[in-house]
Amino acid sequence: MVMRRYVVFVVALLVWGAFFYVMDKSIMQAQGLPVGADLMPR
Amino acid sequence: MKTWHLVSLFAALLSVLLPDLAAASADAVATTLEAAPKPSRLDYPVIAGISGRTLAWSMAQMHLFLAAFVLAVPLFAIATEFMSVVTGDDRFDNMAREFMKITMAAYSLTALVGGGLLLVLLVFYPHLMGYMIKVFRGQVLIYALLFGLESITLYIYFYSWDALRRGNRKYYHMSIGLVLNTVGLTLMFVANAWVSFMMSPTGIAPDGAITGTVWEATRNPLWNPLNLHRFLANIAYGGAIVGGYAAYMFLAEKDPAKKAHYDWMGYTSNFIAILGFIPLPFAGYWLMAEIYAYSQQMGITAMGGILAWLFIIQAVLIGTIMLAANYYLWSGLMRTDRGARYAKYVKYIAVVIVGGFLVWVTPHTLILTTAEIQNLGGTSHKILGPLGIMPAKNTAVNLMLVFTFLSFQMFYRSSRIPVVPWAKSANMVVVALYVVGIANIVAAGIYGYITPTVYKVGASVPQVMTTLSIIIGSVIIDVFMLRGAKSEKVHWGRMTERSQYALFVLPVAFTWLMGLMGYIRSSLRTNWHVYTVMKDNSPENYIPALGDAGNTITGITLAFMAVMVFVFWLSRLGQTKQADPGPDNSGATS
Repeated sequence: MVMRRYVVFVVALLVWGAFFYVMDKSIMQAQGLPVGADLMPR
Repeated sequence: MKTWHLVSLFAALLSVLLPDLAAASADAVATTLEAAPKPSRLDYPVIAGISGRTLAWSMAQMHLFLAAFVLAVPLFAIATEFMSVVTGDDRFDNMAREFMKITMAAYSLTALVGGGLLLVLLVFYPHLMGYMIKVFRGQVLIYALLFGLESITLYIYFYSWDALRRGNRKYYHMSIGLVLNTVGLTLMFVANAWVSFMMSPTGIAPDGAITGTVWEATRNPLWNPLNLHRFLANIAYGGAIVGGYAAYMFLAEKDPAKKAHYDWMGYTSNFIAILGFIPLPFAGYWLMAEIYAYSQQMGITAMGGILAWLFIIQAVLIGTIMLAANYYLWSGLMRTDRGARYAKYVKYIAVVIVGGFLVWVTPHTLILTTAEIQNLGGTSHKILGPLGIMPAKNTAVNLMLVFTFLSFQMFYRSSRIPVVPWAKSANMVVVALYVVGIANIVAAGIYGYITPTVYKVGASVPQVMTTLSIIIGSVIIDVFMLRGAKSEKVHWGRMTERSQYALFVLPVAFTWLMGLMGYIRSSLRTNWHVYTVMKDNSPENYIPALGDAGNTITGITLAFMAVMVFVFWLSRLGQTKQADPGPDNSGATS
């Protein structure tokens, strides 16, 4: 059971990470600020 | 709710909105193409050596404090009343009525000060007032009409409370409340149009000749940012003032049942204040971005010139609000038996709040003597200097908001034990949301240091959205996770007296802050009545020195606090009943 909790935690970290990455990128692009994969200006 | 309840509600709303909408849309273009007046110094009356500007400033600020309070309280009174209908708990209804009782005591003072302000403006700035009335024409009359309607609906809403308390009648009562709030908000939007027109005029020619409709003058670039900012600020302010009242009553009452009631009222008020406060920095950010977009010079005057230092004082006051609100929430953990298990996290939250506060108050450059500059190697400190720029401030404020929300969440959870089997996994999802969200806020802040300014400013938006995502995501998960949760008893009234002083700090800091920011907003027009259109040629057509402004703002704040103490005292006096002395001790003489 304890193991399952940590698996959930790791999966949640990845999912939230992807969520925020997509959110950041779309917000920057919506402002007319194109960003690369590393969020640095091209 | 029956259909005809909805119809009556809709009809009530229409009756309020239609006249304004019709007048705004049907307004023909003015026929006069007369330029804005150019008053000379002699056109500004000097009366008994009184500073017209300081008097108008004080009256306007005092009116705004009172108006913000009396407009905001009915908003959350109706929300609280709605809660009583949804939950069937009369305590909500009683609290909503008590909210309104304080408003009633302050309402006549609001009108009195508003009338005084109008007279002061007409006496000391007759040309400006004449021009403004020409620009806004019939809208000025609509404002007066709305004010009358506000008074009528306010009195009906309050005095019909017990007559329309149960069953279907409750919906009539809430409809009256809805009309009251619609009128109140419309009043605020109209007044905002006038002040925002003075900053970013539209619907006129460059010389001030009126070429557009009232609607064009109303819908100027700064109108909506100001509307949003003031709407949120009023909610936060109203909550803080009512929290102060609850603390006053908590300290004054001896009866444990009444103490419990005022403790609950204080908690709810603090919740409302923080609810309005959390999105406020973002609304302020939008307002400032629009100011920059409208006039870079105006933006630089605000944040890069003489007024920039005031944003450090703003940071001190906001930091004070954050610390006081969090302290109150931490104290509240003792209301539940399970609260102690969360106490160990308080110190970590305190570190973030205090750390964020220190980052926010760190200036980029310092006012130094030549010798000090030589010793320091420049006007900016090598290590602390980088904390003075916006990426650091944005990161600090977002983290402070996230951790303030965490304090709320801890108290909320302390009285609920989840029963769903997946609660621990859901908790892990929430923890992961906090971890990734905080990392994202910090990363966006660091990103601001290594990119050009345009990216730096752009990166603040993801920070804001991250903060909101953490809050909204946590609330959604908590709602599902705590569905059907086992409730622990909350011992309302089990609070230290010391914690109540935190509730006093909030209204004082909010009032001071609003006075300070009002001075900044108004000063942005520099030596113009209407920016770039109508010049201020009065003897006091300069931005007041910071020290003088500080004294004036502090004076107004103290005066307002004195008014509020009077209002609280009046409310308590209304509840006090003289004991019946009985027939033998009646004091009657034969």
